[in-house]
Amino acid sequence: MKSIDIIVDGQIYSATKGSLLIDLLIKNDLKVPYFCYHEALGADGNCRMCMVEIEGQKRPQIACDTLIKDNMIVKTKGEMIDGVHRDVLELELVNHPVDCPVCDQAGECKLQDFYMDYGLYDSKIDVAEKVKHEKHIDLGSSVMLDQERCVLCARCTRFTSNITKTHELGIIGRGDHARVSTMPGKKLDNPYAMNVVDLCPVGALTSKDFRFAQRVWFLTSTPSICQGCAKGCNIYVDHNKLKYKDEKIYRFRPRRNDEVNGHFICDEGRLSYKSLQEERQEFMEIDGREATLGEVLGRYDTLLKSSENIVILADANLYIEELEKIISYADSIGAKLYTPMESYVDEEFGDDWLRSSMRASNAKGVEMLSIADKIPDEKISLLIDFNHPDAKSIEAEHTISMRTHSDSGKSDIVLPLASYLQSSGKIINEDGIEQFSDRVLECSEPVATVSEWISILSRADIGGEV
Amino acid sequence: MGKNIKVVPRHGREFKDRLYLPAIYNGMKITFKHLIDNVADSNAVDTLEYPEEQPTDITERYRGLHRLTHRDDDTMACVACFMCATACPSNCIFIEATERNDGKDEKMPSRFAIDTLECVFCGYCVEACPCDAIRMDTGIFSLIGNSREDFVLERDQLLKHKGVFGEENSRARK
Repeated sequence: MKSIDIIVDGQIYSATKGSLLIDLLIKNDLKVPYFCYHEALGADGNCRMCMVEIEGQKRPQIACDTLIKDNMIVKTKGEMIDGVHRDVLELELVNHPVDCPVCDQAGECKLQDFYMDYGLYDSKIDVAEKVKHEKHIDLGSSVMLDQERCVLCARCTRFTSNITKTHELGIIGRGDHARVSTMPGKKLDNPYAMNVVDLCPVGALTSKDFRFAQRVWFLTSTPSICQGCAKGCNIYVDHNKLKYKDEKIYRFRPRRNDEVNGHFICDEGRLSYKSLQEERQEFMEIDGREATLGEVLGRYDTLLKSSENIVILADANLYIEELEKIISYADSIGAKLYTPMESYVDEEFGDDWLRSSMRASNAKGVEMLSIADKIPDEKISLLIDFNHPDAKSIEAEHTISMRTHSDSGKSDIVLPLASYLQSSGKIINEDGIEQFSDRVLECSEPVATVSEWISILSRADIGGEV
Repeated sequence: MGKNIKVVPRHGREFKDRLYLPAIYNGMKITFKHLIDNVADSNAVDTLEYPEEQPTDITERYRGLHRLTHRDDDTMACVACFMCATACPSNCIFIEATERNDGKDEKMPSRFAIDTLECVFCGYCVEACPCDAIRMDTGIFSLIGNSREDFVLERDQLLKHKGVFGEENSRARK
């Protein structure tokens, strides 16, 4: 492809000949309003918002369907083009119910943003005169549809027809009566359905799971990596700390990474934030009773001294840095380290897109550090478990478990472990791509990360004060 | 200098002002007038025997305790949009939203509480409300409780407060 120079708003940009003009505008953060265009779905040219002025053309053109040519001179602002934007926006808003106070999209809504940027006209139509459609329809797969708020950009229908190829959504009716709908009696039903919520530029498709939970402007977005499977999709974690309450995660959203997940994530990964916050192990326990750190360290020392064959189990979802810490910890106490991989395999979950049948996010990392897979059949006197799902079913005289979630498994000592969002490190996904995930939430005492527990326990090991 | 700026001459520079004595004389004249009046007739004293006697000069603009308004059919006007909580400078409005199923609206608060101990009675919540659902026209200026929790006014209590200036229902949500 030939690289050429074009002029946009008096500035020279180099672009690939024959590529879409809107891609250049988006890439260079040049303000251009659009509803229907999406980098993953391509141009549709139905919303007419992305009009630009091109020298030599009689009328304004849509940037999303204009190919870059030699000697192109483009204007994205100016009195004429601003007027075009305002008029197109006014048309989009003709039948919009303007119910922003009850709409979950408020705050991240393209209609609101563009109205503030280009609109600011007085409405000529009374709310009572607007065409009425159905509101709050449960589409299935935790997606709510409000037909009145829709701008008919067809992003959602193109997602189901071009990307998931499940064809649940379509636009029916003509003119004022056009609306998004499923076939009668049919539901939106595919493992990636909730992506239409992110795709929808307005409040027509909203998440039933996030419905009314928070206003978006209260949320803080932190980039992270989903650990639902070995794919390692990039996500934003939206969290907020309410007054007098603990910090809470309200939703996961996909974060664009063309190498890994593109623009999307699966629904199971998206909703996995819930299990991260429920039934957490919050206390230190000895023999099923809550205990203090002093008691735990005392018991740990006796167990360690009286045990001969010590086995350590490490979860394959832990970060590389944490696994390395565990390896050197195992060396220091003369223990053998294993990570059985069999229980992580879930053939039903996997597909050929973003869902991997290997449910351990750092399986490749475990492989790279050559941690042994199978536990040999011999008597174990002390089992030290770092959150491995198999720990319950392994026979051992004594057990020390570090758990993120409380479970019924019997253990001499239970220590509360930080979840992956409360720790940071690198993971290697199934395609060998190494990704860094930063700490999103703080741990509240006595929950601690793997590294912290190892340093607490090791100090006790040499008889130091904690 | 901009054309909207008006220069006002500074007062108090004249000889009469700088003597101070005429000003002191005027001040003392008023003080002694009140002293003589009050000694002569104790009923003319400009104080209230609170709480037996209640103030009568609370105006419409007075910011009293909050209330949540109703629609014409006596249901709640609030749609839990969080505008008041967003505007609140002391973060003392606690809202939890839920689905509303009576066909009036989609959303309503399942909890709407104001911590009046933290509230600074600035009235921003009233101004921010797009539904005219929260007002401070109750004329209530005192709140009594035995514990801190008593001062956190919950939704149903706020709905019970009445407006005292004739306008009972929300004007934005009918």
